[in-house]
Amino acid sequence: MLLRYIIRRMLIGVIQLFCLVIAIFFLIRLLPADPVSRLVGLNSSPEGYAQAARQLGLDRPLLEQLGIYLGLFPDVAPGLLQGSMGVSWATGSSIGSEIATFLPVTLQLITLAFILAFIVSIPVGMLGALNPGKAVDKGVFVYSLFAGSQPEFWWGLLFVYVFYFQLGIAPAPLGQLSPMTMPPDPVTGFMLIDTLIAGDPSKFFEALHHLMMPVITLAFILSGPIIKMVRQNMLRALQSDFVLYANLIGLPRKRVARYALRAAMGPSMTLIGILYGFMLSGAVLVESVFSLGGIGQYAIRSVLAFDYPAIQGVVLVITAISLVVYLLLDLIHAAIEPRIAY
Amino acid sequence: MPDHVPDLPLGDTKYIPPVRKADWLMRIGVAIVTLVIFLAIFGPHIGPYDPTRTTIRIAVPPPGLTEIPGLVAGWFGGTLDHPPHWMGTDANGYDIFSRVIAAPRTDLKIALLANILSLSVGVFFGLIAGYWRNWATELLIRVSDVLQSFPVFILAMVLVALAGRSATNIIIALAFVYTPIYLRLTRAEVMGQTARGFVEAARAMGNSELSIALRHVLPNSLTPALIQSSVTIGFAILLTAGLSFVGAGVRPPTPEWGLMISTGANQIVLGEWWPSVFPGLAISLTVFGFAVLGNALERRYEQG
Repeated sequence: MLLRYIIRRMLIGVIQLFCLVIAIFFLIRLLPADPVSRLVGLNSSPEGYAQAARQLGLDRPLLEQLGIYLGLFPDVAPGLLQGSMGVSWATGSSIGSEIATFLPVTLQLITLAFILAFIVSIPVGMLGALNPGKAVDKGVFVYSLFAGSQPEFWWGLLFVYVFYFQLGIAPAPLGQLSPMTMPPDPVTGFMLIDTLIAGDPSKFFEALHHLMMPVITLAFILSGPIIKMVRQNMLRALQSDFVLYANLIGLPRKRVARYALRAAMGPSMTLIGILYGFMLSGAVLVESVFSLGGIGQYAIRSVLAFDYPAIQGVVLVITAISLVVYLLLDLIHAAIEPRIAY
Repeated sequence: MPDHVPDLPLGDTKYIPPVRKADWLMRIGVAIVTLVIFLAIFGPHIGPYDPTRTTIRIAVPPPGLTEIPGLVAGWFGGTLDHPPHWMGTDANGYDIFSRVIAAPRTDLKIALLANILSLSVGVFFGLIAGYWRNWATELLIRVSDVLQSFPVFILAMVLVALAGRSATNIIIALAFVYTPIYLRLTRAEVMGQTARGFVEAARAMGNSELSIALRHVLPNSLTPALIQSSVTIGFAILLTAGLSFVGAGVRPPTPEWGLMISTGANQIVLGEWWPSVFPGLAISLTVFGFAVLGNALERRYEQG
């Protein structure tokens, strides 16, 4: 039953991704941008221009370009069906391998930020929900509204100013390691894991040190919606019959609160999924403040260079990951909520 | 008290949303939004300097708190050779205060127009999709779903960068991003309304379907979308600023908060905090103001 559900969801996901690929393909090409002149410069000869357009495949009819991208003409160039996202127009290297080096940086950043945001938000949200209408609750409520509506790139800069320039306890915002450090061999692409594999604890702590501020910045922004959600779901759970019953039979407050929290976490899963997907592209700004070199910065680079295949690749990969995250969270939801059956 | 009695039952304390008591919060929201609207109208004209012209004084820090009384006295007394730079100047010599108060013209205009555009398109299609349910409107919803599954920031960046970095293109890009939200919201509301008695009554009175949809269902389904507007305008300001920050927004020297933060970003590691901090503070307060207002309206609506 569960397996059938997973397969069905994956099939729907593939169809959704297919529609998305088509949509982004045409959307990019509908816009009045000229990637060829961006590449060869504005004052190139007409022959040079035509040759560049031919190299990029832009002289072919639009539908043929789409076919090549999808992989229907593997003899011309491998496409999506052959598992290739094409070659970057800006760098000439394979987009799949480029994304593979940039993506782990972002995943590591936002996963850590989510964990930190949760550690902070659950007790704070519960504090609000357990004291409804009191000053604490209002404070929690105003904080969640505030944190959820902040320009994260500005807070990142502010943290840089305070913790790097003034206090000197954070490193300069120049990447995942300080520029003088030799990065470890990229085995997984996740800097924290790679430094451990390389057996170099000093580099591990250096990477952690460099991640500190971007993670705190993102966790601060994330804590807004998460606290709001925990508080609301907690309030709803506290009004349900089973809590009333637990109170009536005289269970201790702490225990009742724990039961209510468990019930409150179920409906929160969907929002977490949406937030995680949102953060995959929402981390763009924080990445660029701290020059981390994640998928967001890769997206900025590709967009500003009019690198169509790279843009398509980034959008495809980010959406695919969001869909997988949604599915995983729905499965977790089913696991904590026995009433849901697939 | 014997200890088998729970000190306070958790469940039956009926939750009273902090509406009346927290009304000061709504007042803060209204005050911020009013100020931003005021600056959007008059901001570019009331600053001491032209927001798009540089001065010869580069990277001047803002006056210290102790200097302010002297400066104010000198300003009114006319003994200063130039108006004071209340927030300092940036690396190009722009007066930051004049630009901070001129920026709402850019930011609010973009956010407001993007919101009106997405609201109109979204409500229009939401009404159609909610009132007439058939394969065509089902397809419409699916298309909107695909649009909604795009990564928001990257989509906006792609649209603006490829179409050209102008205010108009930013408005269209933001409207594109926000339309699906309004479509879904309105559709859900319309579907709830069509099942109600007054629709049946209007039909029995001999109204045409079109007139029922436009004159009876639409006015009753607008509120959620209008409330959402306050939140959307706030987030549109954030997105506009973010786009400028990565170089896919309005062009310099347009006074725009995100662009100003971006100009100051390189100096902040060297200790020049003022070119970034003041415009950021403005965004922070503005978006918070719109969020607070949206939330207060939402709570009022839920209470009826």
